[in-house]
Amino acid sequence: MGNALFWLGGTIAIYLAAKKIYRAHPKVYLTPLIVAPVVVIAVILISGVSFDTYDEGAGWLTKMVEPATIALAITLYKHIDILKKNAYAILASVSCGAIAAIVTSVGLARLLGLNEEIMDSLAPRSATTPIAMTISQFNGGVPTITAIATLVTGLLGLIMGPLIVKWFKIRSSIARGVLFGTSAHSAGISKALEYDTVTGSVAGIAMMFTAFVTLCAAPWLIIWLQ
Amino acid sequence: MKKLWITTAQIILLIVIAQIADVLVQWLHLPIPGSIVGIILLFLLLQLKVIRLEWVERGSKFLVAEMLLFFIPATVGIINYKSLIVNSGLSISITIIVSTLAVMLCAGLIGQWITGRKERAAS
Repeated sequence: MGNALFWLGGTIAIYLAAKKIYRAHPKVYLTPLIVAPVVVIAVILISGVSFDTYDEGAGWLTKMVEPATIALAITLYKHIDILKKNAYAILASVSCGAIAAIVTSVGLARLLGLNEEIMDSLAPRSATTPIAMTISQFNGGVPTITAIATLVTGLLGLIMGPLIVKWFKIRSSIARGVLFGTSAHSAGISKALEYDTVTGSVAGIAMMFTAFVTLCAAPWLIIWLQ
Repeated sequence: MKKLWITTAQIILLIVIAQIADVLVQWLHLPIPGSIVGIILLFLLLQLKVIRLEWVERGSKFLVAEMLLFFIPATVGIINYKSLIVNSGLSISITIIVSTLAVMLCAGLIGQWITGRKERAAS
């Protein structure tokens, strides 16, 4: 019991410290998304405990993912008027993006000779992490690999998104929001909010809708592409 | 102090909704994850004014802001997959990078094309 509490408390402490570092030095490579897991892994490896021992305590945090995901309904509720006004543009581009995510990951994974389990783990990567992990498990993937792949996708979104917006002259707030929300889930939203609030809200809607499309389309597309 | 209690109570309310969503999925044998059912459930409850925005707003803001913390254990799970990283890490990385680029171009350009056409039609 004491051990479990140690790992739970330790993870929270490392997370808070990582957040503090990022606030002082807001560099992409210092994001808590990278720093916190790396430090936790280092501590586990040094102390020589197994992941299961760690997860006995820290796993309580994982249980909070679902309530936190459900809280996203509030984004949808608050911005329903933006969605209604631009329903066609948002739904069409998000659907294409979400389907492109599944098709290109499965296609590339096959091309590069990755096995089916990994393919299923990579396919739902553009959806927000908790949903991506659930979809992955549903389809026979490994949720942990999906969690990592989703995290990397979010980081790529932060780095490449602004470049794509600039190079391809994506000027409308709707298109920008869709770009960030569809490709890079909640990490994308944080970047989208740096443009303006409409971009941020659209990114939120796009993330939600990407999750729905991925959930509905992934099982069929994976079977079809195999 | 009062703020802290309100936030805690709201988080508990969200946990209860999550539990209800999970029970619904089990009872009705729904082929959908509980989190999606929970989102739909909360959205409907807000739309139908059963739950007021003020009852969940503060708690949800906290949960969404600290979302990252809840993913740490899942991410740390990678230590069980060392050989996978050594063997397939490069292929996985290429897949993720190229696929993410494709998604951005696809979503961004189609969005720009549709909204651009609408603006031109308006002017």
